[in-house]
Amino acid sequence: MNTLKRYTHIWLASARYSLVRATMFRGDLFIWASVELLWISVNVIMVGVIYSHTQTVAGWTMYQMLLLVGTSMLIQRFVMGFFWSGIFDMGRNVRSGLFDFVLAQPGDPLFMASTRKLELDGLLNSVVAGALVVYSVRKLGLHPGPLDIVLYALMVACGVMIHFSALVMATSLAFWITSAQGVEGIYFNLMEFSRIPREAFKGIASVAFVWVLPVVIVSNAPARQILYGFDPVWMAGLCAATAGWLALAVVVFRSGLKRYTSASS
Amino acid sequence: MMKYGQAFMVGLQSNLVYRWNFGVRSIFWFFHLAVVYILWGAAYTGNPLIGGYTFAQTLTYFLVIFVLQFFIGAFNEDYQISEDIRTGLINQFLLKPINYFAYRLSVFTAARVVSGAFGIAALVLALPLLRSHLDLPNEGWRLLLGIPAMFLTAIIQFSIAYCFGLLAFWFLEIQGFVILSMAVETLLGGQVVPLDLLPMKVFNVVRFLPFFYQAYFPAAIITGRQGIDFALQGLAIQSFWAIVLVCLAEFVWRRGLKHHTAAGG
Repeated sequence: MNTLKRYTHIWLASARYSLVRATMFRGDLFIWASVELLWISVNVIMVGVIYSHTQTVAGWTMYQMLLLVGTSMLIQRFVMGFFWSGIFDMGRNVRSGLFDFVLAQPGDPLFMASTRKLELDGLLNSVVAGALVVYSVRKLGLHPGPLDIVLYALMVACGVMIHFSALVMATSLAFWITSAQGVEGIYFNLMEFSRIPREAFKGIASVAFVWVLPVVIVSNAPARQILYGFDPVWMAGLCAATAGWLALAVVVFRSGLKRYTSASS
Repeated sequence: MMKYGQAFMVGLQSNLVYRWNFGVRSIFWFFHLAVVYILWGAAYTGNPLIGGYTFAQTLTYFLVIFVLQFFIGAFNEDYQISEDIRTGLINQFLLKPINYFAYRLSVFTAARVVSGAFGIAALVLALPLLRSHLDLPNEGWRLLLGIPAMFLTAIIQFSIAYCFGLLAFWFLEIQGFVILSMAVETLLGGQVVPLDLLPMKVFNVVRFLPFFYQAYFPAAIITGRQGIDFALQGLAIQSFWAIVLVCLAEFVWRRGLKHHTAAGG
């Protein structure tokens, strides 16, 4: 209990620092918020263009697809807001040796490295992504009850943890391949799959991206929860994937940490 | 000319040091292609044609776009230029009889030779899987006009990246601007959807913007999405934009230098 309290205090201090910093550089905040908004728009336009030429994609209508894209963006905005900056810096610091400063701090290195910075622009745009979800739900004529919303939120939280794990694993490659800049990009590539309906994946793609890598269920499970109601199989699959991927990310990070040679001479 | 040849050689060597980066990008390429294949494959299910094109033609279009990016796309030139300015390394170029634009263009060319080799390697690996899904026209004029279009695309891509890099004369942090522009370029350059799928009115506006010539135009010529008249008109507009952007780059450079303070002894 004391440990939880201590880490909550550390996180709150980091969050306070990040918020003060963001309000100091308001121009920067505006630009980054615009960047995030523009990327959400790019995805919405892509859906609009595809559906101007077809009625359904893998059996999903345009608003169902927008619900899926909105859910995927919502998860990604939360990841960007809560973890991206810290994890991105981690890769860079491992390469430069500045990771020593994280190791010198009195806390778990993964927690200290990944929660150091809060990005307000990502969190602001989670409102836009959320609005896209609400808009799609209204257009579909759905009326989810409070329990549906709670379960949806829970599934989104699981999605955030899976994204976090994928990001940690991709960044941890820096412990092994110090000359590879931008390996974090693997995460963004993998997450492109989360904006595609599960029914579109067939054969080996289904095995790879639905069963081996949980990139598809991350967004499909919460979207289906709203569209079709509670499905214990999807819920169980998502929870198992969350636990498994989080454990794997911790193992990969710790194995990488053992290889870290520091910057000291 | 010799000095730029030397810059090219140095660029070649330094890019070979970071061969892992290009290797990682080749892996990204496979993921991108898988996303395109799955998403567009689902969109084409039940629709033999979208916008008048078959699935094979659309897949070929995206494949050519991806390969072109390896050969003529600007990756992180803006960042390198901004770092030269931010760290003061630019000062050494001001003291030497060297044109910074030409120097950077030489390094850019070297980087594209290395990334192009990786692009070819990725293509060779992917071809056995994709060959049956591709549909490339065999009219000779397409290559004849496609090559100058690709050359001009490289100039446009580089000049835009150069101008964004030079923003570091005024701003401490330019990554926000770069990624903002990347979102616009990705969409209006035809990397998300083939631009001919846009409503005709929008397409007729977009075709006069420089972004149109950053990827879509050469790919549309090579893959048969546009005819010879359109290609000839497009080459004229593309040449106009290439000249405008090179002039703009020189203008921004001169204005930036007036702003620049070379500190240190």
